[in-house]
Amino acid sequence: MSSEGASSGKFRDFAEEAFALPAIPAKPEALAGVRVLEVATRIFGPATADYLGVFGAEVIKVELPGRGDLMRYVAPEGFFWKDVSPAFLALNRNKLHVGLDLHAPEGVELFLRLAEVSDVVVENLRAGTMDEWGAGYLQLRERNPGIVYAANSGFGQWGPYAAGRASYDATAQAVSGFSAITGFPDQPPLKAGFWVGDYTGALMSAIAILAALRARSETGQGQLIDLSQAEAMIRALDWTWPYAAQCGQDRRRAGSLDPSYLPSGIYRCADGFVAISARDEEERVRLARALGAARPAGEGDAAPEHVAAFAASRTREELVRWAEASGFSAAPVRGGREQYGDPHLRARGTVCEVTDPLYGRIDEFGPAPKLSRSPGRVKSSAKPVGWHNDRVFGELLGLSPAERDELTRKRVIGTWADLPGARPPKVADEP
Amino acid sequence: MSGFAEWARAATDPAAAGGKPEALAGVGVLEFGSGHFGGMVAASILAEFGADVIKVEPPGGEALRRVAPGGISRAGTGLPFLSEARNRRFVTLAADRAEGRALFRRLAEGADVIVSSEPERDQDAAGIGYLSLRRDHPRLIYLSLSTYGSFGPDAHRPVRDCDLLCQALSGAPYIVGEPEDGDTAPRPHQAPTRLGNWHGAFVQGLWGAFGVLSALRFREGSGKGQFVDIAGAEALMQFTDYNITWMHTAGKARARLGNFDPAVFPYTYIRCRDGHTFIAAYNDEAFDSLMRIIGRPELARDPRFATPAARVRLENEKALLEILEEWSAVRTADEILNAVEGYTSRQSGPAAAVVTGRVNRPLETLGEENWRERGCFVRTELPVYGETVLAAPPWKMSGTPARWKSGCKPPGADNRDVYMGDLGMPEEEFARLQASGAI
Repeated sequence: MSSEGASSGKFRDFAEEAFALPAIPAKPEALAGVRVLEVATRIFGPATADYLGVFGAEVIKVELPGRGDLMRYVAPEGFFWKDVSPAFLALNRNKLHVGLDLHAPEGVELFLRLAEVSDVVVENLRAGTMDEWGAGYLQLRERNPGIVYAANSGFGQWGPYAAGRASYDATAQAVSGFSAITGFPDQPPLKAGFWVGDYTGALMSAIAILAALRARSETGQGQLIDLSQAEAMIRALDWTWPYAAQCGQDRRRAGSLDPSYLPSGIYRCADGFVAISARDEEERVRLARALGAARPAGEGDAAPEHVAAFAASRTREELVRWAEASGFSAAPVRGGREQYGDPHLRARGTVCEVTDPLYGRIDEFGPAPKLSRSPGRVKSSAKPVGWHNDRVFGELLGLSPAERDELTRKRVIGTWADLPGARPPKVADEP
Repeated sequence: MSGFAEWARAATDPAAAGGKPEALAGVGVLEFGSGHFGGMVAASILAEFGADVIKVEPPGGEALRRVAPGGISRAGTGLPFLSEARNRRFVTLAADRAEGRALFRRLAEGADVIVSSEPERDQDAAGIGYLSLRRDHPRLIYLSLSTYGSFGPDAHRPVRDCDLLCQALSGAPYIVGEPEDGDTAPRPHQAPTRLGNWHGAFVQGLWGAFGVLSALRFREGSGKGQFVDIAGAEALMQFTDYNITWMHTAGKARARLGNFDPAVFPYTYIRCRDGHTFIAAYNDEAFDSLMRIIGRPELARDPRFATPAARVRLENEKALLEILEEWSAVRTADEILNAVEGYTSRQSGPAAAVVTGRVNRPLETLGEENWRERGCFVRTELPVYGETVLAAPPWKMSGTPARWKSGCKPPGADNRDVYMGDLGMPEEEFARLQASGAI
């Protein structure tokens, strides 16, 4: 075995070089050459396509001309920046935006032509809607048997609840059982304050798309992926199901303690909150010993109330240092403000600066998985409705300016309505 | 059922998945690490799509087997491990011994992917890390899972990675739970709140699987493997909405608002006669629909509620929640669903975007016909561990469906199959390694 110091230094050197941020723009992209059509609104479908786009797929986001994706009008405290909502920006990076109405037969025909030159379709309309429009999987595969079609929905494309039932993130949080096990035992079930029921499904959808693309490399055949966001949440609930089956009762809400690793939990301290964690017997013993050492009464006891009493008067930083010195684990509870300024997240590109030709500098979350050779990256921000119509309908499909004008006149294709959220900024920043 | 729904059912019913080809057939995955749920999830996801996963445990079994919430375990294995130990073979080796490490290297030679949840600096020091393995195996894809990641100023922090740490750093608990009142001393539940399941670890595993699949795609074209680094904190962080863009554009950070929301309302749980249910109707047309459903159409023009920006003022959210609960408290969740669907089925587009869904307890979810018909749960009788119920892979796919194939087995259950079958180890060597405690 090589000596630890030299060896870990070698890995550190490798990692620093392999993941250096300045080298990323010149590196290849993992999903280069994959073209994705997105016909989706709000979060579930757009996030699926966003994840693929960040790793190099070319995503064409199809929106209804005029108002476009209704997510454009979801604005925190009603706030728009340069006429775009910060909530919309976060879900629609690296995309080409076209305005195309699939209610019109000519719109469907254009969409089918786009599908002929695409690899993947992502949609999150109510089950069966695309099929009614003549743009569903069965129609698309006639034109392109290799198409991978991800149908994201609340309850699935078939089954008792499939017909007509709408779903948002919190529908999935609610019906899956996720909220029933989240929160405090003496309080009602808790809705998580972020759209976790959408993102979890979206990531699962993106994973299935990548698996289906791999299958297609072998067979040339595409397929239908039917993913329900509620079922995605059901899959994520770890020991909830074997416990319910074995005990005939529901696991209890445990507040901020982790019932698998007591006394691990989130504790209030002098300047906020801290997570104290003991993942195994070794860490638990060290935590108990450290508590004992800190209490004049003698032997340590790692009951939650003792941890709570110890943490109350100390800062997060003191508690993290105490854990590191004592041999168990701790981490501060952080929010968006701290993430934004965190040097670690900046050094990893997890919070990154994007220079967008239309909006100027905009900071975003960078990719979660860091790939040493074909890293993900945020190249551009979201755009107004129909911003890339000419590029997609002109350059990609080869429609002449006269044909495009005609389709625009018929409102089959179009751009933004004159509304905050849909339209370009009044004055663009210098890049 | 529509023609499409009928076709989709016939083409994607998980009951008919057996015998169909698998998307990741031929992809070999070696899973290494102890006490780590996220690593198991990453490997499970790949295994559900058909990868051949071998899980390496120390002799006697890995630490996660001994994690038993409520003191419940089956034949020495707790329910968390049982829930995720699927579609894989189980081998043991003593990685703290030279012959165990040599065996690990032989297994790694045959793998396309390694999933490791041990700190990479330790793996590297022991000569079984990425740099050492890739020397003879440039196509290797190596996934490393940790709290802070393998590089960056905090990468050296000596924590044992787990869900709780990842959740705390992710920003999720910060915006989950009830805010403090301000006037009175905070009550225990007025605090950042854990997502009740191990969602941090689960999402860490999902992003790990995503990273591996992206790297496999890159390898198809280039022939080159690579290192995939996942910080569990950053995995769930990706899901915290517009935390960064709002900070950048307005200097504002999300705060805990309990049942309320800074960007969309109504988008909330409401009390009903038989518990709680979700109700959302946040764009103008949908809000108008909801006010008609509850018999208060005039409220759509009330200045407190007439625009999205007015509806997300906290005092207006509180007033509206009271109005909604006057209506919902005397109705069951099913009656609310029927009222919503009865109205929205006659609407289209934005006016139909009134959305509901009952807050189910797990046993209620288990009892619902929709999930039973769609094969969301696996009811199985496992050798050694007995009868159990597990969540099935959620994807229904027409060509290469994901599927549940096998469940938990004891540590080393597949030693003979893997070491003698896959590696071609002679019987005498196998017996010797067994006798010496290396496997």
